[in-house]
Amino acid sequence: MTILEERPQLPFEAHEPSLMEIVPGPRPHGIVKFVTSTDHKQIGLNYLFTGLAGFVIAGLMALVMRTQLIVPNNHFVTENVYNEMFTIHGTIMLFVFAGPFAFAGFGNYLVPLMIGAPDMAFPRFNNLSYWLYLGGFSLLLAGFLTNNGAAQFGWFGYAPLTEAIHSPGPGADLWIVGIGLTGFSGIFTAVNIITTVFTLRAPGMVMFRMPIFVWNILVTMFLILLAFPVLTAAMALLWIDRHLGGNFYDATKGGQPILWQNLFWFFGHPEVYIIALPYFGIATEILATMSRKPVFGYKGMIAATLSIGALAMGVWAHHMYTTGAVLLPFFAAMSLLIAVPTGIKFFNWIGTMWRGTIVLNTAMLFCLGFLAMFLFGGITGVILAQPVLDFQLHNTYFVVAHFHYVLIGAVMAGFGGLYYWLPKMTGRKLSEKWGKLGFALLFIGFNLTFFPQHDLGLRGMPRRIETYNAGMGWNFLNELSSIGAYITALGVLVNAWNIFTSWRNGELAGDNPWDGQTLEWACSSPPPDHNFEALPPIRSERPVWDANHPDMLTKVGH
Amino acid sequence: MKVESRTVLGAFAFLTILAIVYWVLVALHGSSTERSGIAMLVFSFAAYALLGGYLLAQYLRRHGIPRAEDRFDATQEDGAGVIDYFPATSIWPAAMGLGMVFGACALVWGLWYLAIGAVLFFGAVFGWVTESDYTEDVLPGSDPDELAASHGDFASTGAHHDH
Repeated sequence: MTILEERPQLPFEAHEPSLMEIVPGPRPHGIVKFVTSTDHKQIGLNYLFTGLAGFVIAGLMALVMRTQLIVPNNHFVTENVYNEMFTIHGTIMLFVFAGPFAFAGFGNYLVPLMIGAPDMAFPRFNNLSYWLYLGGFSLLLAGFLTNNGAAQFGWFGYAPLTEAIHSPGPGADLWIVGIGLTGFSGIFTAVNIITTVFTLRAPGMVMFRMPIFVWNILVTMFLILLAFPVLTAAMALLWIDRHLGGNFYDATKGGQPILWQNLFWFFGHPEVYIIALPYFGIATEILATMSRKPVFGYKGMIAATLSIGALAMGVWAHHMYTTGAVLLPFFAAMSLLIAVPTGIKFFNWIGTMWRGTIVLNTAMLFCLGFLAMFLFGGITGVILAQPVLDFQLHNTYFVVAHFHYVLIGAVMAGFGGLYYWLPKMTGRKLSEKWGKLGFALLFIGFNLTFFPQHDLGLRGMPRRIETYNAGMGWNFLNELSSIGAYITALGVLVNAWNIFTSWRNGELAGDNPWDGQTLEWACSSPPPDHNFEALPPIRSERPVWDANHPDMLTKVGH
Repeated sequence: MKVESRTVLGAFAFLTILAIVYWVLVALHGSSTERSGIAMLVFSFAAYALLGGYLLAQYLRRHGIPRAEDRFDATQEDGAGVIDYFPATSIWPAAMGLGMVFGACALVWGLWYLAIGAVLFFGAVFGWVTESDYTEDVLPGSDPDELAASHGDFASTGAHHDH
């Protein structure tokens, strides 16, 4: 480790004239801007708020489900409605909220800013992917308006339930094409962001100076390139089965239902990392800034991200242990291996905070919530990765609790990201008072909802049942879980109210409200068209910190 | 381009090894239904070979001369020049997206929707591919030579990154 001799030659000033020339153009406002803008910031915001709308809609479906389950033998909704609810809840949460909210929302907004680029490499293509995403979201919801209702076979749509004879009507078809469109949108975003990162970095922004968030998004995009085409192919085969008399998944005509599971989970498990990795990146950025330290083990962090991305391609069949048709030792070993790089990340996050000057604001609290909840989800994941235990727990509420801890843990970091970056996007800080209340309600609500579900699973409650008998010993735990869901809903309301009011009346943020380290804090809040009027010299992975603290330069080792 | 191509080629190497190990293990112990997994892993490493090979070709084409964004000591002056053409606003992506959504509806409710979808889609393709030239003519200052003339200190050395 040596300190580079040439250090930022000039103190960075915010409004020094730029050396980069950008082709100017007209800039409309209002609805025309929403429809036609090719600005990555506008499109990023579109994604963020469409994703949040999906979160609220799918969250309301979760409330319907928890209300149905709050007492035994309940008749709040019918079986069919309950089935539609859990199917579309899962689909929207996975395909509309959790993934695109981070990789397309934060990714679009922040990747060009963090690498010093004026926009994405293909701005119009970027706009197109948003419309495909919105179209897919709308078609998923349109299922509720059809005669037979929306799809009812669960978010991973196992054959033969999805065949025309078991799921007639357009609801299932809308599910197929809705997911197909969001899949295309994801592939387009992936192509766009990879090209941007590879060709539009600012001078001096070598690959190993990019923020961890950008590295994580990059690896996510490579996973999307492999995973989403497989999903689209699986959906196409399913559509052929339903409409053109194909027999890919129909066992009675010589097809293989297990083929669907292989195809779906070959997409589905990388999808878990497609969702999680961007949130890891968000957490890394917030932890480093709020601890006022560089990321601990920067290159180790990148290596861990790359290993997670690589191993993610070899673990898909751990969702299929109980089918008896997969290679148990191989997938168990791979699934346990993937816990290692994730463990390295936890070690590095703690190392980043270690002896730092920690600022405990709302963004940081959400990150700590993420660390706690994701760790818990990871540990139950290691439990489920072992076939002997999985055979007991498969399809019980233990699995439901496990993946909700993983995903909500990740989404916690996403809320932290909103508190951290909305000041950059809107120019105004969110209220800390409401934010801390919102965090407390969400953290208590989430844990109260999903912690009892571990025990429910151990007591044998299967997932996806719409009601249960009073004598099963499940009553109290279900009641707790439902109360937790209502507290969560209250927490979401508080946070939504906070975003809504702070947007208009919040405290002015200024260019760099958190004394941030990475390039997005070098431009004004909100950033102007094509982002940068001047760039500080890039001599380490935190150029803005170096420019603002010449006495505490980042140590650089090559 | 060195780090970029090595990252992708590293993933290619890992997936190749993974596919071989998986293939051998399935052949020894597995059932015949796992052929789909082998096929998908082969597809994966082939996809990365394509991308990594392209990036490697880009790297080799430069004969070891790094781009400004690949140099540790590059300053902002090294990146001076026109970065790229960034279209301002465009209605065509939205039209194309709507066309594709109609195309998706055709898969659900019948071919009737495909007519609307195809008109929107191909209309948008036409508008999109003809838009760039049109905009460059209309927008002031989009011509690199003109820009160089209007900014004395600004050399029109072309894009600071290679395509």
